[in-house]
Amino acid sequence: MTRRTPYLLSAPAAVLLVGLLVTPVVLLVRVSLYEPSHGRGFFAPGTWTMENYAAVTDADGLGRLGFTVAFGAGVAALTLIVSYPIALFIRSRTAAWQAVALGAVLLPKFANALVLLFGLQQLLGPAGPVARSASVVVEPPRLTRNLAGALIGETYLVAPYAVLVLVVHLARIDPALTAAARGLGASRIRAFRRVTWPLSVPGVLLAGYLALMWGLGSFLGPMLLGGPEQTTLSVEVHRQAFEYGRWPRAAAGAVLLVATVGLTLAAYATVTRRREVV
Amino acid sequence: MSRAGWLAVGLVVAPLGFAAWISFSPDSFLTPPTGAWSLRWYKAFLADHRWVSALFRSLGIAGGAAAVAVAAGGPLAFAVARYRFAGRRALAAAAVLPACVPPAVLGMGLLPVLYASGLWGSPVAMALTHGLLGLPVVFLVVRSHLESLSPDLEAAARGLGASGWQSARRVTLPLVRPAILAGVAAAFVGSLNEGLVSLFLATPSSETLPAVVWPQLRFAPNPLVAVASCLSAATAVLAVGSIMLITRARRGTAPGTPS
Repeated sequence: MTRRTPYLLSAPAAVLLVGLLVTPVVLLVRVSLYEPSHGRGFFAPGTWTMENYAAVTDADGLGRLGFTVAFGAGVAALTLIVSYPIALFIRSRTAAWQAVALGAVLLPKFANALVLLFGLQQLLGPAGPVARSASVVVEPPRLTRNLAGALIGETYLVAPYAVLVLVVHLARIDPALTAAARGLGASRIRAFRRVTWPLSVPGVLLAGYLALMWGLGSFLGPMLLGGPEQTTLSVEVHRQAFEYGRWPRAAAGAVLLVATVGLTLAAYATVTRRREVV
Repeated sequence: MSRAGWLAVGLVVAPLGFAAWISFSPDSFLTPPTGAWSLRWYKAFLADHRWVSALFRSLGIAGGAAAVAVAAGGPLAFAVARYRFAGRRALAAAAVLPACVPPAVLGMGLLPVLYASGLWGSPVAMALTHGLLGLPVVFLVVRSHLESLSPDLEAAARGLGASGWQSARRVTLPLVRPAILAGVAAAFVGSLNEGLVSLFLATPSSETLPAVVWPQLRFAPNPLVAVASCLSAATAVLAVGSIMLITRARRGTAPGTPS
């Protein structure tokens, strides 16, 4: 094999990545600078304007931007809160039951996200079993068409991956360490706080990074389980492109979203790196 | 602890189970059947040309996507794991990018590209796009598998006179086959269930099952939606199950084991 071999081997992937990822994202910037079409086509070719960026960063636009970041952070936090105990539980089972439990948690990923959210919609909706069983005691809380629904829906889509990451990281912790702490007289809670938790922090940070990354791009949760106020940037991009046919405005929204994801993740990486040193 | 844990695991599966239960409803309401179960909506699904052709189109696109993902991700993983070359780290990072870009951005970016290139609405464009989305998982799985193998095995083959190509085909490929099959399964299932980028790219001539489900779900949900979901989930489980069976059957005839 020659020096050219690794380049030949990488060529198919490079073509795919350049053709379907780099080119579209670069062209997205160009499309975002077109003037909107007036009646014909999806944009006015040959024009240059900043008006689409002005439109996506007006008062409403900045509100959506803020909501998107807050929503992404909320999804990440909720995902970790839900996934960590499940991962701990899975790790505490015997090998065979671990496989069963992990398989069950990953099973929804074999199904379409639309189906899952449909099931969730029916479960949480005003006619669903949750509301009906709660209504015996109290006025049931609304869990669809609002923030709670959107958060639950999106977390539900992200959590299985977080559980997987956490289980893998927890499995790397030598069980002898916890056993030693217990043997030296630490209570279960103390052994967890002083041994298991600190050793699992890298896994938590990775799971949080992934959840934040996907949470910032949230689309289906807000769309299917949220209300009109839960408009993330992704939802806005889709609406501009398909409800109004304004491709330039949608492209500007998409560019803003890419920048937001990049900056938020960079901030997350900086903060968590500093924490690890302490 | 144990009960609460299993309850939590059960809750994760609940929406899927609930959707499956609703699909057997005898009437048009979105309530699970408690008395009589019925296959009425399954029959309606199979009788409707649009649903059935979308299901088959989804399967074809998923097959194409898995092939694209493996053809691109497999060799790249081999190059990154076995060679040191300029651009290696950049490529390794870029290969994971498709999983990081928000689907709405990718969909919106591809829309004008495919529109301009005349590929908008072709199943080929859909398979290529889904192949791109499957690239990260194929790359990561095959790369980590390759890195866990001893390069001495390939060196031994070369030392015994095999050419680079022969050692790759006779030694490396059989050893990474389980990782490749896992990648195929993940890319296939991922494509089958991909409904976000498809939402931006689908036209009536290239709509996949999720693209048909979407308007129904938003504006007039009925048990047909549940049927469509269950059928595609069942297909995904079947596909992965058969791939696991192939992996197991192959294990018996792996190189080095006496046959």
